[in-house]
Amino acid sequence: MTASLVSAPDLLANFPFPFPTDQYRYTTNVEPARGPVPTPTGVWGERIIDIDSEYEHELALRERILERDPSRYAVLPHMRVAAWDAMLTLMGEMAKAYPDTMSLTRTGDTWHWRNGRLDLSADFVLGDESALPMEPLAYIGSQVQDDIVLLDQRDGDLFGDAGVVTFAADWSFGFDVGMTFLEIHGPVPRLRETGVITRAREFLMRLQPGEIYRRTNWTLTIGRRLDVSTELYHEWGRDRAMIQTVSDDEFGRLVHLRVELQHLVRLCESGAICFLIRTYMLPFVDLATVPEWRARAAAVLEELPDDIANYKGIISYRDRAVDWLKNAA
Amino acid sequence: MGEQRQLEVSTHVKPPLELTSVPRWTVEPTLPDADLTGATWTVLAIGPDAGPVVDSWSAQITCARPGAALTVHHVADADAATAALDAALAGARVGWRLMVAGPAHECLQVRAHAVRNEVADDEMTFASTEVDHRVVLCVHCGTRTYASAGIEDVVVCTGCGCNLLVYYHVSRRQGAHLGFKVDAEQLEQTA
Amino acid sequence: MSALDLVVTAVDDSVPDVRSVTLARPDGGTLPSFTPGSHIVVQCGDVANAYSLTSDSVQPTSYQISVLKQPDGSGGSVWIHGLTVGDAVSVLPPRSAFAPILRARKHLLVAAGIGVTPMISHLRSAKQWGRDVELLYVHKPGRGAHLDDIAELADNARLFTTRADFLAELPDTLATQPFGTHLYICGPTTFIDDVVAAAEAHGWPPSRIHFERFGIGALDPGEPFTVKLADTGTTIAVDSGVSLLEALEAAGHDIPNLCRQGVCGECRLTVTSGEILHRDMYLTDADKAAGDAIMACVSRAACPELELKL
Repeated sequence: MTASLVSAPDLLANFPFPFPTDQYRYTTNVEPARGPVPTPTGVWGERIIDIDSEYEHELALRERILERDPSRYAVLPHMRVAAWDAMLTLMGEMAKAYPDTMSLTRTGDTWHWRNGRLDLSADFVLGDESALPMEPLAYIGSQVQDDIVLLDQRDGDLFGDAGVVTFAADWSFGFDVGMTFLEIHGPVPRLRETGVITRAREFLMRLQPGEIYRRTNWTLTIGRRLDVSTELYHEWGRDRAMIQTVSDDEFGRLVHLRVELQHLVRLCESGAICFLIRTYMLPFVDLATVPEWRARAAAVLEELPDDIANYKGIISYRDRAVDWLKNAA
Repeated sequence: MGEQRQLEVSTHVKPPLELTSVPRWTVEPTLPDADLTGATWTVLAIGPDAGPVVDSWSAQITCARPGAALTVHHVADADAATAALDAALAGARVGWRLMVAGPAHECLQVRAHAVRNEVADDEMTFASTEVDHRVVLCVHCGTRTYASAGIEDVVVCTGCGCNLLVYYHVSRRQGAHLGFKVDAEQLEQTA
Repeated sequence: MSALDLVVTAVDDSVPDVRSVTLARPDGGTLPSFTPGSHIVVQCGDVANAYSLTSDSVQPTSYQISVLKQPDGSGGSVWIHGLTVGDAVSVLPPRSAFAPILRARKHLLVAAGIGVTPMISHLRSAKQWGRDVELLYVHKPGRGAHLDDIAELADNARLFTTRADFLAELPDTLATQPFGTHLYICGPTTFIDDVVAAAEAHGWPPSRIHFERFGIGALDPGEPFTVKLADTGTTIAVDSGVSLLEALEAAGHDIPNLCRQGVCGECRLTVTSGEILHRDMYLTDADKAAGDAIMACVSRAACPELELKL
C-alpha cells in the first residue's frame, strides 16, 4: 500500500521523533547541539535554525497572532542588549545553515543581513534601532519558526525577561514574563520533585558563551494547531472532549504528535541565555506510515503514568490513541 | 467583587508551596523581622491591621540603628502604597530598603510595582496581615477579578464571565494569580 | 573545552612589571566572542593561569591580556613575561564569571592594581551600549595599567595612587549611588574584602555587590586540616599554605586539574563528610550549599577533617 501523506514530504523526513525507548519519563535530557540524528525517514538536528516547507505559513500565522495579542511579545527594558545579541546570533546560524539564501557579513561596524527566502535585507550598526524596521527580537522573530525566550542570569537564578512566543503548548508567556525558570515551569509535581527542572536550571546557568545544547519535549495536539497557549484554552480545550466523538479516520487525521525541539544558547555579548522552541507536528496517519514510530509511540503512550498523561492534557483520549496506533499496523 | 462558586474539586495532590511561584506569605499571615542591613527605609502600612506591624519594625530599626533614615506611610490600599513607593524611588540611593505590611493581595500588587522598578528581592520585605482575598488575572480576557477565594477555588471572571480556576501560579510583575477556564474541556451545554 | 592554538602578535611592556600580550590565530581568523569581564586560561609552560580579556569582545580577531609579573608566584606570569612575538600559546576559550548585570541602571567599577583588567572590557561594552559607568582605580604610582584605554573609554574615572586617597573618597561614593547601581570590585583579596565591608556598612544588599578574586596567590594560606580517603581509609595532612590538590598529588594521587585556581572545574572531588570552606569561582551557590563537592585547588576545610570519596 502506498501511503499518501497529509504532511509535505520534508516534514516527515525532518521529524524529530522524541522517543528513544518504549518508556517515557521526565528527564534532564540535554545533549550538545548540531549532531545529526538519522531516522527511518531522514535526518534532523544538524541546524540550530531549521526552515521547512511550513516557513512562510508559520511566519504569517505568527504575525496574525501578534497583531491580535501583542502580549505574546515582550522585551523588558534591561534586555535590549540581549535582544540584539540574540538577533545577531540567530542571523549567523541561519547564514551558516542556508548559505545559498541567507548571508550575514560585516564591513567595519556595519552588518549586512540578507534573507533571500523572504527577499529582505538590512544594513545596521549594533545598537542602532533606527536601522531596522522593528525591534531586533521582533525582527528575527519574524524570520524564524521558533518561539524565542531570553533568560537573564542574575541573583543565582534565571529570569524569563524577553521573548516572542506565539506557539506555546499550554502556557502563557505574557503572564510568565519576569518569572524565574523554576516558577515558569510551575507546579508540575513529578517534574519538580524529581529535580529534573532544578538540574536543567543548574545546567543552563553553567553554559559558557558560544555553547549550544538541545533537548526535546512532546505532547499531543488536536488539529494542526500551533497556538495552543493558555490564553486560547477556552477555545481549544473543548477539542479534548470533541476528539472522543469522532470517527477513527478523523481521529487519525486530527491527533498530532507534537514535538518541541529546544535549543539552549549562551549568548556571548550579553551573557543571556537564548531558549529556542521549534514546534513540529505530525498527524497520527502520517506517523503510522513509519512502522518503528507507530509501534514505539503506541508503547510509550500505553505505559505513560496517569499523572504525566494528565499533566500533558491527554488523559481523556490516551486509551483511544493507543488503540488507534495499534490498529494502524 | 467576583462571584465565587465551588465546583467539583479534582482529586489530585496539592503541590508543596516551595515548588510553586506562590509566596508563602500569601497563604499564611507572616510577620518577618525588620531588615536591619539597609541604610534608609521606606515602610508602607496598608490598612488598619498593618499599624502594629510597622510599629514593631520601626522599633527594631531605630533600636539597632539609632538615627536611621526611616519613612513610614500609612495608606488605605495598594494604589496609595504604589504612589508612595514611586515617590521614594525617585530620590532613593543604593542602601534603600522597602518594607510593606498589609493584606497579602495588596502586598502582591506593591511587589509587582517594585519588581517593575527593578527593586531586588533582597531589598524588600513583606508582612501579610490577611490572606483571604486574591486577585485573579484571567488569561483569556486580561481582566483582574478580586475575590475572597483560596488557591484552586473557582471565581467568575468579571470581564468575560468564565469560571476561572485560581491557579498555583503568581506573576511577579502582575501581582496576581493566573486564572484559566476550569471547564474548558467540557462540551458546551445550553445554559 | 578544546584549546585554541594562538600566536603572540604583539607585546607591550610600557608599564613596569605589567606586560600586555596580544594573541591571534595564526591565520588571522575570527576568535570566539566573549562576555565582558571574561577570562581565558593560558597554558604557561607547566602551569595554567587565568587572565582577564581587555580587548574587543564581538567576533574579535585578537585577544589581549595584561599580566603582572609575580616572581614569587607559580611561574605562569614569569613565563608570559618571557614570550616574544611569534611564540605559540595555547589557551582555553573564554569563560564568563564577572559579567555586567543587565538590569543595572549604573555600573560602579572599583579596581586595584592589575585588578583593573576585567574593568577594561566592561568599559568597552559600556561605551558600545551607552551604559552609565563610573570607574575608581587605585594603583601604585607609575604602575597604572591601561590608563590610555581608561582615558578613551571613561568620562569620569577617578585614579588614585595611594590607599589613603582612595579610602577618603570611597565612603561618600558608596553612600550616594543612585538606586539601581551595581558595584563591581576586582583586586587583591584584602582590597576586595575592605570594599565589600564598606559597601555593606552603607547598606548595599548582596545582590548589588559583585567581585572577582585574582589568583590563588591572593588567597590566604588557610588553616591546616586532614582528609580521610573513603575508599582506602588513609588520612592525608594538608598543611597551611598547601592546597588540597597539592597535598593529594604529593601523596601520589592523580587528580584531574587545569587552571589550579578555582575557575575551570576539573579538580572537583566528592565530599562525604565535613564542612567545606569554598573559595572557588566554579561551583554554584546551590552546589556549595549542598556541601558534597569541593574544588581541590583552592578550597579547604572549615573543620578539622574532611572525608573524600577517593
